[in-house]
Amino acid sequence: MNILEMKNINKSFNGVPVLKDVNFSVEKGEIHALLGENGAGKSTLMNILTGVIPLDSGEVIFEGEHIENQAIKKRQELGIAFVHQELNLFNDLKVYENIFLGKEYVNRFGTLKKKEMIQKSKELFERLRIEIDPTAEVSTLKVSEKQLLEISKSLFFSAKLLILDEPTTALSNDEIEHLFIILRRLRDEGKSIIFISHKMPEIFTISDRYTVLRNGMFIQSGKITDATPEEVTRLLVGASYSTLEIYQKRKLGNVVLELKKFSGEGFKKINLTVRKGEILGLTGLKGSGSSELMNAIFGTQPAQSGSIFVFDKPIKNGSIHVAMKAKMALLPSNRKENSVIPDMSLLENMYVAEHTLSALNFHINYSKELNKFYNYKEMLGIKCNKPSYGITSLSGGNQQKVFLARWLNTEADILLLDNPTQGIDVGAKAEIYKLILNLAEQGKTILINTLEIPELQKIADRCAVFYNGEIIKILQHDEIDEETVMMYSTQAIGGHEDGENQ
Amino acid sequence: MVKTNDNKILKYVSATWSGYSFIFIFFIIFLIYYISNGGITWNGVMNILRHTSVIGIIALGMGIVVITGEIDLSVGSTLALVGGYSVIIFNMTDSIIVTLIFAIVFGLICGLLNGVLVGVTKIPSFIVTLATMLIFRSLSQYSCKILNPELTGGTNSVYKIINTLSSFDLFYKFGNGILFTIPVTGIFLILVTVLFIYISTRTKFGKKLYAVGSNAGAARLSGIQVNLFRVIVFGLSGAMVGLAAFLWIAMNASIDPATTGKSYEMYAIAAVVIGGISMSGGRGKCIGILFGAMSYTVIDKIIVALAVDSLINDTIKGVILIVAMLMQTLSPIIKEKMKVRKLKEL
Repeated sequence: MNILEMKNINKSFNGVPVLKDVNFSVEKGEIHALLGENGAGKSTLMNILTGVIPLDSGEVIFEGEHIENQAIKKRQELGIAFVHQELNLFNDLKVYENIFLGKEYVNRFGTLKKKEMIQKSKELFERLRIEIDPTAEVSTLKVSEKQLLEISKSLFFSAKLLILDEPTTALSNDEIEHLFIILRRLRDEGKSIIFISHKMPEIFTISDRYTVLRNGMFIQSGKITDATPEEVTRLLVGASYSTLEIYQKRKLGNVVLELKKFSGEGFKKINLTVRKGEILGLTGLKGSGSSELMNAIFGTQPAQSGSIFVFDKPIKNGSIHVAMKAKMALLPSNRKENSVIPDMSLLENMYVAEHTLSALNFHINYSKELNKFYNYKEMLGIKCNKPSYGITSLSGGNQQKVFLARWLNTEADILLLDNPTQGIDVGAKAEIYKLILNLAEQGKTILINTLEIPELQKIADRCAVFYNGEIIKILQHDEIDEETVMMYSTQAIGGHEDGENQ
Repeated sequence: MVKTNDNKILKYVSATWSGYSFIFIFFIIFLIYYISNGGITWNGVMNILRHTSVIGIIALGMGIVVITGEIDLSVGSTLALVGGYSVIIFNMTDSIIVTLIFAIVFGLICGLLNGVLVGVTKIPSFIVTLATMLIFRSLSQYSCKILNPELTGGTNSVYKIINTLSSFDLFYKFGNGILFTIPVTGIFLILVTVLFIYISTRTKFGKKLYAVGSNAGAARLSGIQVNLFRVIVFGLSGAMVGLAAFLWIAMNASIDPATTGKSYEMYAIAAVVIGGISMSGGRGKCIGILFGAMSYTVIDKIIVALAVDSLINDTIKGVILIVAMLMQTLSPIIKEKMKVRKLKEL
């Protein structure tokens, strides 16, 4: 029997369809894996289910009742609970206070019945066989405990359908095991669970059925026992893409960047050598360590052990300034947070990084800076009116070009690009690929961290695939395709190599 | 078509308004003074400049602190402490130059203390400078009480310059003198303002002030050593207070550790805010601070001209501060409303 049925769901944002006639159903007492790449429409579908965003057309039936027009709160009362990736807990409150937040037990005078609430929380944890102290402060809990707390909280208010959005990203293997035991027990009690994840081994251990979405369309549903990880990955990725053939093999120079047993928060024992003029892709699922590695190379995050050699010279790790002097540059991910200086003009946003290198040369020579700006404007094809305009007046792609100019302006030889095409439209993306190839042609060495494999396919000479903080495979240009990369990064096929792979 | 033309003018006015509202505010206040005083002489205008010099220089230092997104509450107490010890140094050495250097260096040290606590230990600047505000004031009062009266100029409650010293006349003349009809201390204020305008608009250091205040995270990722930067900025603010303390003793020949510089942190912050600098950092012009500080001096003069009770003084200053803030916060809201209305018309 289906506890949930979503039929012919359509949704578009600003005229761009993101869900097209999607069908999705969950049975009572099953764990259902919902699969799809970034942008496939998973979160939109779940947001429609929980009522966060309205649908354009279609039906949502929960326990035989139409709930399309119900408010978020009403749906929660009916028993739909969303356990978010960023946990919605209050760190400064105690465990039981979090559970009862907004629904506290009070006596006639409005004072809290603490004892009763603590007792109820205890009973709840005992029933689920979870060991959490109800009076502990949430900030002292481990991530896995927080996750379990969030799940328990929704169950306390009689949730019947739990939505878990990538619940295992921050958990260790033991913790995942524990979570799975609890999920199975809940399933056997008749609860239904929608499990959103990328990781094939997990999906194949825990789920009963699966549904694949791609580009906002329903692709396939089925029993997990009837499928193999390879098949599902293929469904996920779809037919091959029209690859824009802009890649050309280049002659590479000497080794310019070398990592030896480089370890830090989120990655461990990375051995890697990169040659002058090379474009190296780094990829892996979120939290697999590629972005952390990039940040540690540039010194924005401290490394724990190992060493970095740039042009054969060892680099003292942990200082951005030292990295910049060694001719490295990092274009960070999360443009708005880490790159945009919102109160400053385009020109100022461009020259700020170079000025930290030439700080002792106190005076700003405006005509020189303007010349440089116009040079980069032409070279990178920045579309803007005046250099004195605010950075926020530009589109995402043009902003990113300004920040690329910011780093080229430092005359860096090694460019670390962390998710450079995040939130940029397709046309601008293609331009940025071309720029990256041109830069490599001019002898710049480029490392790109991205989750979008088609990007790497177009530009990367090699691609290092990360899993759990380690480089699990290095693919040569001809070997890079979405399916292969996905299989390694989801561990659908095993394979473990030492990172050193020329 | 008339409509678009209208909008253009409106846009232009609102752009000038949001960038230079401090000039409007100053001129409105100045006009009130003009009327209440029944006209004004050149000397009257120069007097405004003279009386703004100490608070103006302090406010400029405060301005760069605020631009980086921090605050310095200790400036008033620093003035009392540095001023007091500078009097002692003058009494000991009888040298104007040594006193000037001492005042600036001692102010710098006080500021660096704030800076290290903010930049390195990461205690919020509000708390750090609140603490040093108490400490500096108390140290100034305590030293005045226990030190040899010969050093403090004969009393145990006020630091007083000994007026029999050979450099005294020159020093006093410097503090109260006039050069080409412009008061010397006023010239100092103008020079410091020009210097700050230059630093904030034409130097790499100045641009980094804005970058740190606008988005400290992105500034760090651009290679700016944000913590070190904070230390320097507080140090500069302290050095400015040192210079202001030097001017103060030149003008008044004494420092009362209990009252000198009292509430000056508030006046300085008010001058900065009226001058159009955003309290959250990253935005504003140093020229605004001069106008903000002068606005407050003119209010003092209006009170004298109207012969009202001087106790009402702070009420008026407080009201003006709120009005100035409203002008700045309301203008984007009104702009937004106009935009929505335009969209609705479409």
